[in-house]
Amino acid sequence: MDLFLARLFDGLGSGATYAALAMALVLIFKATTLINFAQGELALLGAYLVLVLGVEQGLPIVVAVFLAMVITAVFAAGLERVFIRPFDPSDHLPLVIVTLGLFLGINSVAGVIWGHGARDLPSMFPDGNLYSRGVANLSWVTVGNVATVLATAGALYLLLNKTKIGLAFRAVSSNLESSELVGINIGRTLQFGWALAAAVGTLGAALAILTLFLEPTVMLRVLIFAFAAAALGGLDSLGGAVVGGFVVGLVRSMGVGYLDFVPSELGVGAAVVVIIAVLLIRPTGLFGSEQVQRV
Amino acid sequence: MSLPKRIAQGGRNHRLYLLGSWGLLALLAFLVPFLFAETFAPELFGNKYTVSLANVNKSLAWAVAILGLTVLTGFSGQISLGHTFFVGTGAYTSAILVEFFDWPYLATLVVVIPMCLVIGLIIGIPAVRITGLYLALITFGLAAVFPSIPKIEQLADRDGWNTGGSNGLRVSKDLETPSWLPTNGIAEFLQGIPLIGGMFGSDGLPRRGADDVYVYFLLLLVAAIAFLLVRNLMKSRPGRAIIAIRDNPTGAQVSGINPAAVKTIAFGISGILGGVAGVMFTMMAQFVGPDEFTTNLAIFFVVGMIVGGVGTLGGSIIGGLAIVFVPAWAGQTETLPIADIEFGAEFGPLILGVLLILLMFAMPGGITSGFRQVRARLVQIIPRAPST
Repeated sequence: MDLFLARLFDGLGSGATYAALAMALVLIFKATTLINFAQGELALLGAYLVLVLGVEQGLPIVVAVFLAMVITAVFAAGLERVFIRPFDPSDHLPLVIVTLGLFLGINSVAGVIWGHGARDLPSMFPDGNLYSRGVANLSWVTVGNVATVLATAGALYLLLNKTKIGLAFRAVSSNLESSELVGINIGRTLQFGWALAAAVGTLGAALAILTLFLEPTVMLRVLIFAFAAAALGGLDSLGGAVVGGFVVGLVRSMGVGYLDFVPSELGVGAAVVVIIAVLLIRPTGLFGSEQVQRV
Repeated sequence: MSLPKRIAQGGRNHRLYLLGSWGLLALLAFLVPFLFAETFAPELFGNKYTVSLANVNKSLAWAVAILGLTVLTGFSGQISLGHTFFVGTGAYTSAILVEFFDWPYLATLVVVIPMCLVIGLIIGIPAVRITGLYLALITFGLAAVFPSIPKIEQLADRDGWNTGGSNGLRVSKDLETPSWLPTNGIAEFLQGIPLIGGMFGSDGLPRRGADDVYVYFLLLLVAAIAFLLVRNLMKSRPGRAIIAIRDNPTGAQVSGINPAAVKTIAFGISGILGGVAGVMFTMMAQFVGPDEFTTNLAIFFVVGMIVGGVGTLGGSIIGGLAIVFVPAWAGQTETLPIADIEFGAEFGPLILGVLLILLMFAMPGGITSGFRQVRARLVQIIPRAPST
């Protein structure tokens, strides 16, 4: 029982970080029907900014995270304006290549500026455990991660459903042409989507770093699970991303823990198998909207 | 003479044109291995860029891998980010057979081809239902899984054959130049040519380089056969069916094509080519390790395909060269005239990223389409009227 609880807490904690990044991916996908490969690296940049502001400049960590979110949001809005908007939004391959180019570029810049050594970030949450039973420890970090992700999901829901810019964003993601006809500034709205996604991604990275070390390759490892989470939940569903994140996190910790024949290296494999199984039954993920094809 | 020059298809000029262009390509392919790193290094802005033969050999292997991706993504329209899975499987199988069972390198193809075909078909079956970016994400997951497979204890630490775990597996059997292949004589002959002979070095082939030249010709042969077979396949009935499924699934289906079967077969063929590329990699590197087949390489394959030109066979070769040489040369770039910064190997990916983005602005269809635009200004081939 203790072991089960330990794995449950572990899965929830890592699932929360996957969910945060998956939400960022979903935001971009909703806006542009595109997967942003540079999302993880933008988040990485955000995490390094937290390091600079919070550790080197000595700001309170919560303030540092907030500032980093704002800075990466502005930066992502700039990237969208310079690198994404000149391209035809309906032709995906050049856009995917541009995000891959950004991925390589940002990753390399981070390595050059901050070096390849592993760094540690101070925690936003108190040390110690909320609840302990045998080997099972529900740490404040885990609780904080889960709470932050749920709060972010709630805030995004309110932002998209109760504000005017959120309405515009939903209109653009559902029908580009019609929303242009009713007077929505498409470019500005998509830019908003990029900025929002970058801010959420930075938050996700700041959470993920609490259990991992900050190094230039760290986000690639997390990003794979975030991709899995987004695919599982449905690429255009924010709620699906949260559910997908927790499912992937739990599958990883439980799969490796309970199935003896699954070596610990194959945690990703367990996640991939689950996604294939789910997608075979529902090709657009658990909560994704069906793609209707016209003949 | 006005440009473009018009050439009638099938005419004498057309035959000359084909002979000339293919002949030039063959000559270039023949000369490349003799241009040595120490003696042939183009200079740009004070940086020396070396053309190491090992890198040429690697790009041949990756060209075949990208060819597999071209069949899958370019022709059948299924996006795969997991091609390292096939390449890695082929490379490891080949390495194990050569190292522990003393097979000749090329003979391992007999095992690798059916094996990768079966894996490709197995992955292809769910791909019939899962499409688009969802498929891309799943295959990316496969690419992410692959490096951990050789590290599994049951495979890494067993008696008899093993994968070598995270240290990788070194293959001790060398590919030695057979005595009937006069590579040394050819090198000496080229070095004897006045004026340009210096580019080929002096005193014949260096000892270490000699076997690389042999490997180059072996890989060139394998790659040429692969490209020829794929070219013929794409002109045949199943090949046309693969393209039809991409262009209009519904239309293809009412024309009597079974989309599920065709898509699965495309995955199988693509898997075979990936496996062959893996065998080529083992021949060239004599080493396999989990760090060789990372998700980054899988992304690079897609990058290479798009840089070369999606859905073009020639683009695969350009892509293979690009993903090997651009990072290598970017790493050798130490100064640039635009900025006074000390560059180094870690700027490699940054330069690659910048080049990628610039390429997308300048030539969104890849280098092949840019090349075709230039060619269209110079030469125009008038198709023959169809015979009735």
